[in-house]
Amino acid sequence: MSVLTASRPLGPTVGRLTRRHAWTAAVVVFFSVLLAWNASQTRNFGAFEIQTMLASTLALAYLAMAQSVVVIGGGIDLSVGALLVLANCLSARFMEGTGFGTSLLVAAGVLAVTAALGALTGLVITASKIPDIIVTLATSFVWGGAALFVLRTPGGGTAAGFQTLVLGSGSAWWPALLCLLAPLLLVWVPLRRSRTGIAIYALGSSKDAAFLSGVDPLRTRMVAYTFSGLLCGLAGIATTAFTGGGSPQSTIAMNSTLASVAAIVLGGVALSGGVGGLVGPVFAVWCLYLIPNIMLGLGVDPSYGEVVKGVVVVLVVLVGGLLRARRSRLT
Amino acid sequence: MTGLAVKDEDRDQARGLARIAAADRSTLALIVVLAALVVANGLIDRNFLSLGQLRNTLLVTAPLALLAGGQTLCMLTGGIDLSVAMTATAAAYVTGVQSSEGAATAIAAGLLVGLVVGLVNGLAIGVFRVNPLIMTLGMSGILTGLLTVGSQTFLGGATRMSDFVLELGGGTIVGPIPWNLVVWLLLGGALVVGLRRTGLGRMIYAVGDNRIACRLAGVRVWQVETAVYTLCALLAAVAGILIGGRSGSVDLQLAGSYLLPSVAAAVIGGTSILGGVGGYTGTILGALILVVLDTMLNLLTVDEALKQVLYGCIILVLAWVYARGTASA
Amino acid sequence: MVALRSVDLAVAPGEIHALVGANGAGKSTLVRILSGVVPPDAGAVEVAGRAVRFRSPAHARAGGLAPVFQDPAFAPDLTVAENLRLTATDPAAFRRRLDGFGLDGVHLGEPAGTLPLPLLRMLDLARVLAHDPALLLLDEITAALPADYAERVFEVIRRARDDGRSVLFISHRLLEVQEVCDRVTVLRDGRNVDTLEIKGPEGSGERTERRIVAAMLGERAALAVSEPRRVAPRDTTRAGEPALQVRGLSDGHRVREVSLELARGEVLGITGLEGQGQDELFAILAGDRRPAGGEIVAAGRRLVARHPQEAIRRGLTLVPSDRWQALLPQRSVRENLAVPQYNAPSRWGWINDGRERRLVAEAIARLSIDTRAQAQARRLSGGNQQKVAIGRWLVGGFTTLLCFDPTRGIDVGTKHQIYDLFRELAAAGKSVLMFTSELREVPLACDRVLVIYDGRIVGEFKAADADEATLLSAAHGLADTLTDSR
Repeated sequence: MSVLTASRPLGPTVGRLTRRHAWTAAVVVFFSVLLAWNASQTRNFGAFEIQTMLASTLALAYLAMAQSVVVIGGGIDLSVGALLVLANCLSARFMEGTGFGTSLLVAAGVLAVTAALGALTGLVITASKIPDIIVTLATSFVWGGAALFVLRTPGGGTAAGFQTLVLGSGSAWWPALLCLLAPLLLVWVPLRRSRTGIAIYALGSSKDAAFLSGVDPLRTRMVAYTFSGLLCGLAGIATTAFTGGGSPQSTIAMNSTLASVAAIVLGGVALSGGVGGLVGPVFAVWCLYLIPNIMLGLGVDPSYGEVVKGVVVVLVVLVGGLLRARRSRLT
Repeated sequence: MTGLAVKDEDRDQARGLARIAAADRSTLALIVVLAALVVANGLIDRNFLSLGQLRNTLLVTAPLALLAGGQTLCMLTGGIDLSVAMTATAAAYVTGVQSSEGAATAIAAGLLVGLVVGLVNGLAIGVFRVNPLIMTLGMSGILTGLLTVGSQTFLGGATRMSDFVLELGGGTIVGPIPWNLVVWLLLGGALVVGLRRTGLGRMIYAVGDNRIACRLAGVRVWQVETAVYTLCALLAAVAGILIGGRSGSVDLQLAGSYLLPSVAAAVIGGTSILGGVGGYTGTILGALILVVLDTMLNLLTVDEALKQVLYGCIILVLAWVYARGTASA
Repeated sequence: MVALRSVDLAVAPGEIHALVGANGAGKSTLVRILSGVVPPDAGAVEVAGRAVRFRSPAHARAGGLAPVFQDPAFAPDLTVAENLRLTATDPAAFRRRLDGFGLDGVHLGEPAGTLPLPLLRMLDLARVLAHDPALLLLDEITAALPADYAERVFEVIRRARDDGRSVLFISHRLLEVQEVCDRVTVLRDGRNVDTLEIKGPEGSGERTERRIVAAMLGERAALAVSEPRRVAPRDTTRAGEPALQVRGLSDGHRVREVSLELARGEVLGITGLEGQGQDELFAILAGDRRPAGGEIVAAGRRLVARHPQEAIRRGLTLVPSDRWQALLPQRSVRENLAVPQYNAPSRWGWINDGRERRLVAEAIARLSIDTRAQAQARRLSGGNQQKVAIGRWLVGGFTTLLCFDPTRGIDVGTKHQIYDLFRELAAAGKSVLMFTSELREVPLACDRVLVIYDGRIVGEFKAADADEATLLSAAHGLADTLTDSR
């Protein structure tokens, strides 16, 4: 009868940490393997290749983070891609022909707009009690339309200095990395440690337990969506910096939303909510970037990359689901 | 503490009544909206009420309504299929490439694509419990990749549809009746009747309404889900072939723009994404409303931007109305 | 539905006050109101003389009322430490409480979902205590708790009392209520019917126990006698092989070595407190859960079901306790009744409309289901919903009907219709195995009754001999039959 009396033998802290972050660790290892593989295929693999990878994945990395925050909180956001496009068009239009300083100001303005739109989404979802997926499906149309208002056809521009600041150039890979780390370190880390951040996880993990613990669903969801909107804004600005302009095409919105969902799933964020972080999905984005490159190196048509990505994502969800089912049966 | 009391009263019952009334009224409301849009279009442009324009409307609606039909099935079980657009494209592409083998072979090959995609989706979702969103998203990626590569290798060659498919997708029988309307009427009729009058139809609603109850009643939910995703992909394949037939030749972006409208048509038609409520009649109206609205905005030379914003707002408002109707304790 | 009619209750400072009552008497609802989970429709709560109205659990906690529920309020994916942050609990105070329980080895970095339920409940208790609440609400906290944990809970609440706090202690276990509590209030049908001192001059032991049991039953005991027995249980049991045999069925510590036999034409009752393994037992019999050991023999052949469909094919059909596990709430009565007709792909074809109409009409007539609100099952009254859940198997066919608390929360008239139906079914050679938490319906519906406690069958009575007091004592683990079972 007293099986439970003795405190359960718990492993040392290291063991617990690895268990908790096992998925992220696995993705990092996977990424390292892919990177090493890619490096071995490329002659003189070095800073330039790293810079290219960081710069071209910056937008999607931001977007995966945006999706993560929402999914961790127990929702899903089909409008992240459209919000990216809107931010892209806004920034490209107003940065065109301006100097470095104005570009920075524009960027700040764009971020304020997207964060506000994110907050609005969170408000509508909570107030209307419509499933997230429908609300964000609707808002994806709205943001997409707004992007067309701003920029009718692909165009716009940005200051060259701004591009360099965001992405770096040549072999300077660290600006893009710094830009990626900025929201993580300045917003996410403090948030994650705050009561509000914990509330986001709690809401996704168990609505009832969260409510009994005193979590305010409206406030929590609005914080999550606001931060998500901010990250979508960053993604849009990164796109502007990378392409040197804006493009209001809805296919871009669609594809990047889908890519963000794939990345978070691979990055260890459970679609059921409450599990995962923002680092795993970023590594997942890099993995998904490297796969076609490696296939190219192997002489395989890189278009098969899409196939491999799809299969990897499905398998990861499948295996993750089976593992979780087994664990829940054990406890 | 003194005299504490809790009553649930008949709050729930009152809400239920409101919902029922809303459900019956919603079809009527959709018809009224559709009629109003048609009349408005007629006022804006007399040509809209011509037979030619009617033909155009039907021609555009048929493939969308078929895609949305598949989507409706998935949503009725509480799922979603984000691979319909790519399935349609893939089926059309294969049909186009196989045109030289004769129309029958070409169409069969296209449908086979739908069958395989649907079975894989259905088994993964039903048996292996992969989240439908992820599974169909992954499938969409897989198909994109396969088609991209295939178009340069094993699916190379002419992608012009055979004459039969061209006639089927874009031809006219008589007056305002395009051929693809016949295909839509046949399949759509089967959907409407099948959902109401077959055992599978009952199970689709039942699974979407309460999976646990289904299991306890002896229903193997995975069988229903496999059937549903297979049917959905087959409908998508048919829609793809029709779209291909209308546009003449196929490319990789053929049906991409149909994905969100297929969900939107079902939502506007009153099918709940949570499952168990809705039907194909509503979806048909939803698809017609989307197409007529699109025409109207074109007539008004409203630009694409405002159009999209309006779409979004309409979906949101309707979903809100439906949610108020179904809100339960 | 009225969960709680009118309850007056006063808990003094430095008192352990027990709240007892049969299932559905309103205990849980009262706790949910007091802890701010649901608002009351009327009435007032006063804490230390000040009227309060709690808007949320956090608000109630700030007001000094802190609940511990059977299901601990821990978000499973968060670590214990993060859960503490969520409720603004001081980890040091929490630690001290935990040390007081002798649970000093718990690591706060562990995700709550990975900890065993009893431990989690202790953590919840420690967390609540760390807030120094004026009133501690314990809802069935000792249910399924190992004995030594329970002992520590008692110690803790005694200490809390000695510190001048109040404790509202809800339990099914009358023994422990008498052991730790100062006073006990008995709830029945959403009202408080009696409050008595346990350690006062009114005496202790058997007298108190009898009085509590009497209060829990109330006039219902008298009512049951005065109510005409519509169909007297008679010996419809037929000779020959039994409809269902269960031998040594086990499932972890929830179901332990359960054996029973159900004859054709017999209505066998099972009764017990909540959470004594009856849920698992019925789930196993219905093919919804796989047992760890033992065997089920249905109609002479061994049954190993991996899915309810296989049990249904062998004639074992379940009417679950929760009607929301049986109904398709948004579908019509007809569709609800006909569900099992289409449960295999071979039956997915065209619906024979005439046949379905006839079968459904028969079931509706036989159960006299009120069809005024038939467009959506959720609009039906509780009684009609239950009739639909049962009627499904009249349409679908069965040999043994497994009914879990078939009359919970439905009106007296409907209850009698259901008892009559069971008797009719038995007379027609069908068998019924029903769990009931309403003891008084045992003689109305059953031929024989088993009592389940802690996963074991601890008593067997002929329905005629099973007076409520005997059953209630057995179900609370008080009867002699229990002595060798623990």
